[in-house]
Amino acid sequence: MTITIALPSKGRMKDDASAIFERAGMKIVAVGNDRSYRGRIEGWDDVEVAFLSASEISREVGCGAVDFGVTGEDLVREGLADADGRVEFAARLGFGHAEVVVAVPEIWYDVDTMADLGDVAADFRARHGRRLAIATKYWRLTQQFFSGSHGIQLYRIVESLGATEGAPASGSADIVVDITSTGSTLRANHLKILSDGVILRSEACLVRARKTAHEGNPTINRIIAAVRAAI
Amino acid sequence: MPLINLPAFAGELLADFERLKTLRVDTPVIQPAEPFLDMAGEDLRRRIFLTESETGESLCLRPEFTIPVCLRHIETATGTPQRYAYLGEVFRQRRDGSNEFYQAGIEDLGDLDTAGADARAIGDAMLVLSNRLPGRRLRVTVGDQSVFEAVIAACGLPAGWQKRLIHAFGDQEHLQRLLAKLADPKSPGVFGPEVERLASMGILDNEERLVAEIAGTMEATGYSTNASRSPGDIARRLKEKMELATTRLDKAALAIMREFLALDLPLGESAAALHQFADKSGLKIDGALALFDARVAALARVGADAGLIRYRAAFGRPLDYYTGLVFEIGLEGAPAVLAGGGRFDRLLTLLGAREHIPAVGFSLWLDRIERAVAAAGGAK
Repeated sequence: MTITIALPSKGRMKDDASAIFERAGMKIVAVGNDRSYRGRIEGWDDVEVAFLSASEISREVGCGAVDFGVTGEDLVREGLADADGRVEFAARLGFGHAEVVVAVPEIWYDVDTMADLGDVAADFRARHGRRLAIATKYWRLTQQFFSGSHGIQLYRIVESLGATEGAPASGSADIVVDITSTGSTLRANHLKILSDGVILRSEACLVRARKTAHEGNPTINRIIAAVRAAI
Repeated sequence: MPLINLPAFAGELLADFERLKTLRVDTPVIQPAEPFLDMAGEDLRRRIFLTESETGESLCLRPEFTIPVCLRHIETATGTPQRYAYLGEVFRQRRDGSNEFYQAGIEDLGDLDTAGADARAIGDAMLVLSNRLPGRRLRVTVGDQSVFEAVIAACGLPAGWQKRLIHAFGDQEHLQRLLAKLADPKSPGVFGPEVERLASMGILDNEERLVAEIAGTMEATGYSTNASRSPGDIARRLKEKMELATTRLDKAALAIMREFLALDLPLGESAAALHQFADKSGLKIDGALALFDARVAALARVGADAGLIRYRAAFGRPLDYYTGLVFEIGLEGAPAVLAGGGRFDRLLTLLGAREHIPAVGFSLWLDRIERAVAAAGGAK
């Protein structure tokens, strides 16, 4: 069978991923011209490469449409229910580091932990006539962290697909759950990360779809071993 | 329209509801999603079927009946007291069982006799279940959040801790974690560098200056225009948090709370056990115990068999609109919950009712009852 690896189609992620594969002895060449979204790997005839957007990669690996993908752990864990059951994080690639965090207005001097936030959330409706509002694009991670890990139920998610850090100042939400690498955008918007508010330390990963067809396929193990050796 | 997938006993169940002098109501299958998410929290989102209207309003398939029945009551401005009955399909994403199934139940709104209405809800639920499953022994578990709240208040904890513990009631794991933390002398709260700066400036104990300082910073950072929490809110909670950090539960008080939470005994013995517990521990919880006693007496009056009922002190539901009684009914020797109910005195005001309307009710899982009926038939 042909093994398909999905790689990011543009940007730093694409360059960093290509570099790792090259170090792993798997030089990627585009099929046709440089802008083609199909590729192959020199010397690996049973492997092909599909260039996709990062969020599509997590979905395609999740449903098994491709065998491997390189994408951020945050996108996989946010995009898939039961991520560990459906995919294997075969290698952590050491780039694309970022953290998904809970951040509140700096001026909330009384809130530095999730327990503090739980107290504020419990009283919020009585004081302000509505639930505590969280701006985020990470619905699933937020729910798991708040309800599952910290027993906080009483909040509402306000979907935010960009400029999430501005939501508290604009009044569209009270706090944010967002991804950050240096924290500088959060600080610039007068937000602080809770001391126990790191939901996920994410980085780019080589992710494998858990497919029965992979069992006993030597190419699968060769790819994983080669990439791991190159990190 | 006659529905062919109704449980076979639906007609008899509705006849029971009529004999119990309830008013049968129906509610639309498609409901606004907001009230459900607002009341039960975001966690519900994964378990309901959501859709959107053309104008972007978030809608869902009815996941339960209590909120729709209460909303209908508020909208139609019906007077209280009023007892409603319902039977219809609900829709939830479940790991086990079908995603659409029937529920039926009674919601008793506005009866000011708390103990009497509580007892009637338990009694009615037991009655309709016994009628479907004659000869089977019911297993009823009751809990009471108001007794727990009274115990905590009597232990003399600061308000912040009381709120935390009450909020966790019903979530055993969370509650035990909180108690352990409360008893641990080495777990102070986390305070940011800003708070240390305020402390060194000496304005942490001066509420007026603290509020002014917070307001000034809010203004300077452009946060004040849309701030949800005011400088006063933040200052007040900061004080509460400092109390939380300095209060530790001594071993004796922790032992008292653990002893209370471990209570699990037949209802007939529970009133005496609670009084004994209060005497021994020296806690003043007379008000809550009076209601508990009155409910036990009322249960006898409605003819509920107290021999089938157990009281479990730690049994509750971690939702902020439940206020007192909670109960669950199954069959002895089987884990399935066939009926669940409780008192939700806060729900109607949260949903927008202008006056306070006390409420208690229960709902029946008709698919599980159907299976229990079939199993009983097969055993004969």
